Amino acid sequence: MADKHGHEHGHRHIGHADHDEAEPKHVDAAERSLSEALGISFVILKVIMIVLVVAYLASGFRTVGSNEQALGLTFGKISGVGEARVLDHGWHWVFPYPIGEIVRIPVKKQIKLTVDRFWYEQTRNDILGDGPKPRRIVRDKLNPIREGYCLTRSEKQTTGVAAGRTPSARGHMLDTDGSDYNIVHSRWEVEYQIDNIGKFFTNVYVEDLDPGEVYEDVMIESTTPLLRSVVENAVATAMVQYSIDEALQSRDTIPRYVRQLIQRQLNLIESGVRVTSVQLVDVEWPKQVNEAFEAYFTASQTSQQAISEARTYAEQTLTDTGGQVAEPLYQELMKDDPDTDQLAYLWSQVAGQSQDTLAQALAYRTKVVEAAKANANYLKSILPEFRKRPELVTQRLYLDTIEQVLQNADEKFILQPSTNLKGQEIRILVNRDPSLKPKQVE
Amino acid sequence: MKNVAIPILIAVIFIIMAVYLVMFQVRETESVLVTRFGAPVREKTEPGLAWKWPAPIERVHRFDSRLRVLEGEFVETPTKGAVPIIVKPYIVWRVAEPLKFLNAVQTVGVAEDTLRSRINDTLGRVIGQHIFGEFVNSDPDKIQFDQIQMEMVKDLKVPVLENYGIEIKTVGIKQLKVSEDVTADVFERMKADRQRRTEATIAQGNAEATKIKTDANAKKTALLAAAEGRAKAIRGQGDAEAAQYYEMLEAAPELAMFLRDLEALLATLKDRATIVIPADVEPFKYLREMPSIEVQN
Repeated sequence: MADKHGHEHGHRHIGHADHDEAEPKHVDAAERSLSEALGISFVILKVIMIVLVVAYLASGFRTVGSNEQALGLTFGKISGVGEARVLDHGWHWVFPYPIGEIVRIPVKKQIKLTVDRFWYEQTRNDILGDGPKPRRIVRDKLNPIREGYCLTRSEKQTTGVAAGRTPSARGHMLDTDGSDYNIVHSRWEVEYQIDNIGKFFTNVYVEDLDPGEVYEDVMIESTTPLLRSVVENAVATAMVQYSIDEALQSRDTIPRYVRQLIQRQLNLIESGVRVTSVQLVDVEWPKQVNEAFEAYFTASQTSQQAISEARTYAEQTLTDTGGQVAEPLYQELMKDDPDTDQLAYLWSQVAGQSQDTLAQALAYRTKVVEAAKANANYLKSILPEFRKRPELVTQRLYLDTIEQVLQNADEKFILQPSTNLKGQEIRILVNRDPSLKPKQVE
Repeated sequence: MKNVAIPILIAVIFIIMAVYLVMFQVRETESVLVTRFGAPVREKTEPGLAWKWPAPIERVHRFDSRLRVLEGEFVETPTKGAVPIIVKPYIVWRVAEPLKFLNAVQTVGVAEDTLRSRINDTLGRVIGQHIFGEFVNSDPDKIQFDQIQMEMVKDLKVPVLENYGIEIKTVGIKQLKVSEDVTADVFERMKADRQRRTEATIAQGNAEATKIKTDANAKKTALLAAAEGRAKAIRGQGDAEAAQYYEMLEAAPELAMFLRDLEALLATLKDRATIVIPADVEPFKYLREMPSIEVQN
């Protein structure tokens, strides 16, 4: 457009000049005023031209938004090399049309892509219906076109035991050396962004904008089929590597692997697109096998519970037996060559039943030793006196003891021995009073 | 001054017009084919400025050289072991050689149709060379899904480039499925497999729980035995220590024995005892008679 203007002005200008040159000698007032008028209009035209040129050049100033990066094209070729060719947000000058051009691409934008082609067919009612509704009638087959699913590999079986194979299953499917597989439904969500705008612009097809369309929308619309294909391919490729149990349990490793595959493919085609997140939103076993799976997971839970109960029991038992150090103590004891210091330390920390046993033994030791010591000391203390007056000391000790004994006795019978009543007998009725309790043992 | 300016201006305008006629731009996103009187003379795939003869002589045909993606249809095809599988491919492609492209297919629509039929051939060919176990296998090392896809690229790449000027960037399988009838068998097998594992899980759980309990009990027994042993040793120590003091008793063994007897007497008759004793032992003899104490001097 700009040069067309220049063109027109150029012609007018030329016309002027001819006129001016043709009549320089007339000094007539009218002519002079005409000449002046022409001169003025000539100046005005010049100014307009300059303004137009400046305006043309100024039109090369472009802004790049904060969420965008841009490329400057000169004669259709990206200007600059390497890092320098990427224009970050701010003001930039490029040659105006038709020499230069600026291409702005939203790079910060996280574009979300939901992939549900591996999910089972859902009717409007299934999706929009309020509350949990029973799934529609379960057919015993999956239509490959309408229903989405992935194949996952079977669990690796040891020594090729053909356990669980039903006679109804077709022979040729089963005998292909471990090619058993499962079917699983999954739903994915992927986020990506433009990472390398140079590659993206050069390599990825984006439809031309129709009037009124926003580049970002068109860009997303144009790249979606590519991304969708790459993602689906990655998912299908990844899932065959995992068993259905891994798929059901791991919401972490499989997406990471899928992400790797997607990125590898995107790099291979030099798309300049980076995957920022891959999420396995949902994964479900087919409805057709629901019962068997639910039973399995219930059984898993039950058995986990049994195991955890057993663990609790074991812990309790060990704690009761030996307290906190029961396990290390046991390990140390079981060693062929136990560390004596360590063992002594562990024994010192022991609690519970073992500790009771040890405490009793220690108490016994103390008692025995103390008693022996006391006896010895006592003997030692009375020995000098005994040596001097053995009879008196013996008698005193004897009587003291008898006194003590008789004091303690509940019932005492003192009998008069008779010399002249031979052959007679005495009967004593020992009437133990049941209310009599043993004295408190101290 | 005017005399110079005006011719320059005219010249500039003419140059611009001339340049417009003889030059053209190739954008980063395109490749260009130049034809002279309708016959292709050269192609330009590098971006930038290029020359040509003015319009009626040479014309410029532009082709978008960016990547396009083509989604194939579902195809059912047998593997090497005659197991049918259903796959849906996709192709990422671009116009690489405008001349061949223009000659062979001309438009994107035709190119896509051509690619569709060629990819179906390729699928049949490549998949037919692999057994089903190479697509999915309980042994992950035997899975060659990746290689199979690469073989497809290889199979398609060269002929398509040579014949149509189309570069295949990648070929992949988006969906891998089995035929409807087979799914019923798969479900039967999955059920049976699950059932087997349910039983196995229960059995394993019980076995493990039992083992844990047994282990704990065994440990308990071992620990208690060890504790008992240690206790015995301690008691032995006590007895040994006590024995040291017995030596001291040897100074007066009779007295020691006497003291020991007295102690025993006290201990055994400590409680709940009934004692029957004749009155002629001390000190009960005094119950019968007065003592006669001689005062010695």
